[in-house]
Amino acid sequence: MLDRFGEVLSVVLGALALAYLAYEIDRRKRKLRELFHVLGSEEADISAELIGLVESGELQPYTRGARA
Amino acid sequence: MPKSRPGSGLPPRPRAGEGARYNGAGSPMTEDLAKPGDTRNKMMAAVPIAAEKPAARGSVSQKPSAIPEGTVIEFSAHAPKAPKPWKDKPSGSPRFRIFIIDSGWNSVARRVLRHNFALIRRLHKEDPIYLLSRKKSVELIHRHRWLIGRDPIFAVHDLRAIGEHGTSGFHGLHLHLGILRTPRQALTALQAFARFLREHRQSANLEADIRTGLRREGILGAVEILLHKVPRVIGG
Repeated sequence: MLDRFGEVLSVVLGALALAYLAYEIDRRKRKLRELFHVLGSEEADISAELIGLVESGELQPYTRGARA
Repeated sequence: MPKSRPGSGLPPRPRAGEGARYNGAGSPMTEDLAKPGDTRNKMMAAVPIAAEKPAARGSVSQKPSAIPEGTVIEFSAHAPKAPKPWKDKPSGSPRFRIFIIDSGWNSVARRVLRHNFALIRRLHKEDPIYLLSRKKSVELIHRHRWLIGRDPIFAVHDLRAIGEHGTSGFHGLHLHLGILRTPRQALTALQAFARFLREHRQSANLEADIRTGLRREGILGAVEILLHKVPRVIGG
């Protein structure tokens, strides 16, 4: 009976450790994904606005002291 | 025999009288620090006592062999300056367009950005940097509300990708510096970002490089996170 209980406890603790590891990796990856956000078709409108500002001449490359 | 300084393995510098000043090649930073109003109106150099050849500089026209050893030579402070090692002009064709969007939250990320902006600009002088004003940044963020609280944002457009297929697919990346809460986190992220852009200027598949190099996607990325190859402060 005691052996059986020990086995079950080991399995449960092992599963918990694995679950925590998976959760932690996922959490860190999510943070990296949020920090370094890849631009795709969903962000096309923001990028198009920025490109528009450059092409219309409203935005100029930064030179010392200049700000659009 | 003169004593060598404790802790340094260098031989002792030859002394050539009071006020002798070492006139070795200074770093650009130290050259920049010299101000015109400096009280040091003369620079002095000692001719080495050892058998080294003295360097002929400035208006000194004497032959090196004619200078007695141990003599102190005075150079005018107005001697012609050496050319600056840094060029302000871009040296290559741009691969990226970098936009900085900052609506002005009083955040640590903003302070880190302000303190390091000049360095970022020097490191990426090939690529144009567009600094949006606070008003324009607020207008842009107002239209795209999911960006609220994520600025300052570095929006990097990959000109090669945009030239191939416009903005319909992958065309760059954002660094959302504003989500970081401590100066160390913000600085580490900024450094990783600057390094990545420099290292991958010629990348044929920038998207894949971002996913593996910055975002640590896939099983290998998970292993790297576990092994702390990603700085812990930015999510590793």
